[in-house]
Amino acid sequence: MVSTKTKKRPDHKWGMVIDLDRCTACQACVIACQSENNIPINQESTFLEGRAIEWIRIERYWEGTYPNVKARFLPMLCQHCDNAPCESVCPVYATYHNNEGLNVQVYNRCVGTRFCGNNCPYHARLFNYWEPVWPEELKNQLNPDVTVRSRGIMEKCTMCIQRIRRATRGGKEVADQSFNPACVQACPTDAMVFGDLNNSQTQVSKKWEDERGYRVLEVLGTNPSVKYLKQVEVDA
Amino acid sequence: MNTLTKIVIPAIGLAVALLLAFVAYFVLQSWWSQPPAVLGFGDGPEQPIAFPHQVHINVAGLDCQFCHRSVSAEETAGIPAVNQCRFCHDFDRITGAKSESSSAETEIKKLIGTLGETPDPVNWVRVHRLPDHVQFLHAPHIQQGFSCSTCHGDIASMKVVEQVRNLKMRDCVDCHRENSAPTDCTTCHY
Amino acid sequence: MALSRRQFLKWAGATSLGAVIFNGCRVPDHEIQVQSPVELPEDLVTGRDNYYATTVKLGAASEGLLVRVMEGRAKKIEGNPDYPMNTGKHGIRSESLLQALYHPDRIKHPMVRIAKGGPFRKIEWPEAIERLSTILKEAAPESVILATPPLRGQLADVVATFSDSYGSEHVAFDTLGDSVLRRAFSDLFGTDTIPDFDIANAGLILSVGADFLGTWGDTTHFMRGYGEFRQGKERSRGKLIHIDARYSATAAVADKWIYANPGTEGLLAMAMIYTIISEGLGDSVVAKQLTGGESIENAYNNFQPSVVASQIGVSAENIMALAREFADSKNGPALAIGGGLAGAQANGLFNLHAIYALNALVGSVNHKGGLIFNPNPHSRNIPGATLNKWKHILSDMRSGKTKVLLVRDANPAYGLPRSINPREALSNLETIVSFSSFLDETTEMADLILPGSSPLEEWGSDEPNPGPGYTTIAFQQPVVNRFHNTISFGDALLQTSKSLELGLPWVDMRDALRSSAKKLHELNAGSVKQPTFEEFWKRSLERGGWWNMDSTYKASAQLPPLAKKAPKVNSVDSEKYPFYLVPFEGVGIGAGEYSHLPWAQSAPDPLTSAAWTTWVELNPITAKELDVKDHDIVLVESNTTNAIRGLVYINPATPPQVVAIPMGQGHRAFTSYAAKRGANVLDIIEPTEEVITGSFAWGGTRVNVSRTNRKGDLPKLEGIEPARQLPHEELILVHRDHHAGSDGHKHH
Repeated sequence: MVSTKTKKRPDHKWGMVIDLDRCTACQACVIACQSENNIPINQESTFLEGRAIEWIRIERYWEGTYPNVKARFLPMLCQHCDNAPCESVCPVYATYHNNEGLNVQVYNRCVGTRFCGNNCPYHARLFNYWEPVWPEELKNQLNPDVTVRSRGIMEKCTMCIQRIRRATRGGKEVADQSFNPACVQACPTDAMVFGDLNNSQTQVSKKWEDERGYRVLEVLGTNPSVKYLKQVEVDA
Repeated sequence: MNTLTKIVIPAIGLAVALLLAFVAYFVLQSWWSQPPAVLGFGDGPEQPIAFPHQVHINVAGLDCQFCHRSVSAEETAGIPAVNQCRFCHDFDRITGAKSESSSAETEIKKLIGTLGETPDPVNWVRVHRLPDHVQFLHAPHIQQGFSCSTCHGDIASMKVVEQVRNLKMRDCVDCHRENSAPTDCTTCHY
Repeated sequence: MALSRRQFLKWAGATSLGAVIFNGCRVPDHEIQVQSPVELPEDLVTGRDNYYATTVKLGAASEGLLVRVMEGRAKKIEGNPDYPMNTGKHGIRSESLLQALYHPDRIKHPMVRIAKGGPFRKIEWPEAIERLSTILKEAAPESVILATPPLRGQLADVVATFSDSYGSEHVAFDTLGDSVLRRAFSDLFGTDTIPDFDIANAGLILSVGADFLGTWGDTTHFMRGYGEFRQGKERSRGKLIHIDARYSATAAVADKWIYANPGTEGLLAMAMIYTIISEGLGDSVVAKQLTGGESIENAYNNFQPSVVASQIGVSAENIMALAREFADSKNGPALAIGGGLAGAQANGLFNLHAIYALNALVGSVNHKGGLIFNPNPHSRNIPGATLNKWKHILSDMRSGKTKVLLVRDANPAYGLPRSINPREALSNLETIVSFSSFLDETTEMADLILPGSSPLEEWGSDEPNPGPGYTTIAFQQPVVNRFHNTISFGDALLQTSKSLELGLPWVDMRDALRSSAKKLHELNAGSVKQPTFEEFWKRSLERGGWWNMDSTYKASAQLPPLAKKAPKVNSVDSEKYPFYLVPFEGVGIGAGEYSHLPWAQSAPDPLTSAAWTTWVELNPITAKELDVKDHDIVLVESNTTNAIRGLVYINPATPPQVVAIPMGQGHRAFTSYAAKRGANVLDIIEPTEEVITGSFAWGGTRVNVSRTNRKGDLPKLEGIEPARQLPHEELILVHRDHHAGSDGHKHH
């Protein structure tokens, strides 16, 4: 007999805090993400065409010139904006905000208008201009939990929704830090913290209140789910 | 000349029209649902060993989960290892099975190839297959209390397993709607 | 769709429409089949993932890993939270192990060359071992040399035992080398191991030449401490001062970056020591040891800040301020780290002596926040041989004294300075036998290949050096079955040793690891204690190894006196070669050992975001003077007879007298991902030796840069606009923190 009671998923709201004072731009998060999410390999030609796909990238901004020079790093990924500019422009409703606060991308609906990528102020969205190919042996490494995208599909950070699904299967309670997206799990300096913002006891909720916290391009009103902690500068 | 223009050509025209109509029907039916049961498309695929579910369920009284063990905990139901068959079948001779026909003996003897130093695995032909962009998990469905036959049909009466529901997205979404299961896209597509 | 493929084919073949549909709907064969294995391993359930603990040695680094395995395929690398060095985190190179395992260009089976210079022919393992045994039986052991990377753990013991029993020489190859670093520690503190840097508890870190948060040493381990150093709870924020000729990632995150001319790092440290001692700061007992009991003026007159300032390129006031800050205990424990460019000079040992002596002077030896020493390892620790040693090896190859080379994961044909002609020396050998997994430049010259497995398919162990401050032995186990017809290098040696009747006590690497593990079990101490050996074995494999936090080591408190004069170093004509060449390791590819892995190649350089090729970093004013623009191709020449070409990258942080060029490209072979890209900086690096150790002084070359009239295109992640934040759209906000005593912090 069919059960008439559906298990409700406790409503999580996933968020992330990135501490810019800890980040060293080591690229561990970048590569971990590519491994986890079946991202096509960025060949030399891909970089030359300006079409490298990195769901998370480390941006580097210069200030000044030698001898008074400073480089600052900003790990940039999909901000999962609560008021996302990308969601309202998709003509086929391939991207929407789910009940857990994530901006999700439905690959099989996407028809490749790229309007969403155009609208994103963070350049978080990446498009597959060509069919991704892997040499036969390297296909053994592909993650079966993540759909392999073909040409013409927009993709971006999903906060490793496949890991969220695995952890929350059956609607069971999820302990803080029991799982993390690939980037957070790799980060050697613990610069990245992920978790449920609906639960005030999680690490991410506590870091969310840090006095150094701010959100990138907040004035645009996108209401991101990713907060950054300001880098600290001392009189050196 | 007259026969040609008045009878033969229209007849040919009619035949072609009927053929095209059939092709259109076939293609549309296959696209929106399942291929119609003509030209052998309705039967299940031929398997390397003609394993009869009917015998094992009705006669031996086995439950689905006896062999398909991971269905309530994992994504897939799991095809059992050949060693599972040896619970009852000793491959040298038939025991525990009342063979109605010598064909059963032939099939069981095929398992002998799986013994020895370099055993051959059994390469079953897949009956149910969802596209790559669908992340379907058996476990939540079993945990909700659905029986296997809801989607797989009356396996107990099948000699050769065939697909009975078309398992297209409409099929899944209809059932989800009826049962207040989540219907947002990323339930299955991520 | 429940149709049989055969039926569809029959039907589809009848109409062209069907052919079109069929091709569009094609499903690969292996997806239509579901296989029933004969026995179902308990960890083989479709859709279920299992994690297996193992370990990998990546240069100096030691990372404990948990590998996610699904249906017998390794899918993802994660750090092992239990392992003391990386505590759950990992970096680019360990993630790329997956690509090493499933690399399309791996050598898949043993091969023998039909004739010199001819093609390879596939053979089976018994024949391969027999051929190797024949070669070793017929050769005089003194004419055989076995080359590997620097080794630790079980493999070091197996290789050393094999070489000793057979009578051949074993030598380790490592392009950049760490002999100077080891010698500095052994001279100063009497230790054979590299100490751990207690970064998490340090108050002030002065790093000289060592990009320890980017590419130098065990970066993942150092970064674990760095996060805590910056924003750890219950501590105040640490301060990092980085001294280096290139603005590396470490320089970028440092609170202050100071440029010093390459080769003058030791002078700077000595000037600091002079200041500290002469102003009565620091430990007076250590001061007496360092000066040999003499007064500071007598001992170190040559190093007064005012005397050396102009040579270094830092003002005397700044040197003294730095020294005072370093010695000021209210900043918390001060830690000095030296290496990289500072050690890679003709006077490298002098430099590192001075830098590390600073730790002793401020009481940071054997103390929290300073240098924490490591006990001697249980197994051998075989460092890379010096450049001097390799020059002798090459000359032995040329003279015919050495006739046979056995090589595993060492690439002297690529990784030695071109001006000493390694390829020519190697081509003089009678026989080269390679155990490597890829056709790199050296393996391409081999006559017989016994391909080794990848690290994820092997048994072994690692004793990290630097360790975490206590005895640590990581266990390595195969997490997947062999993917190709390869066997682990250790197993190949042991099988050969059996054929040669050398009487080694182990059958294979697993056996060797078990016998080492038995000794650990008998200690009945440390992180795993079990009543029986089998339980100990299982538990240690699950946890990733065995460590004992009670097994520590305190270094000698008696320091030797330091040199009174810096060693004289030759220098080339600075008119002809006006620039310092600063070679640096790629963040993924290192010095070229990982160039065959696409993820390592595609990881953008943190400062330039460039990848996949060789670029030449020039200061904007220098570029103008040379009349070159971004992406122009320039010629870089040194006092060797070689030159290389690279793409200009105008870098606002490059000092005007410096030219920085990444290493690791310019391969002629080593799979399609490495070959024929960029240029090999080793072509133009002079084969200078550090004066005392003979180590490779790769940081001491001077070059000339000139324009060619060609332009290229640089693969990089950033666009063509210079990346500066717009005043009204600041993306990275900064919290400006002023010293205590002011009105608190101003928010930006």
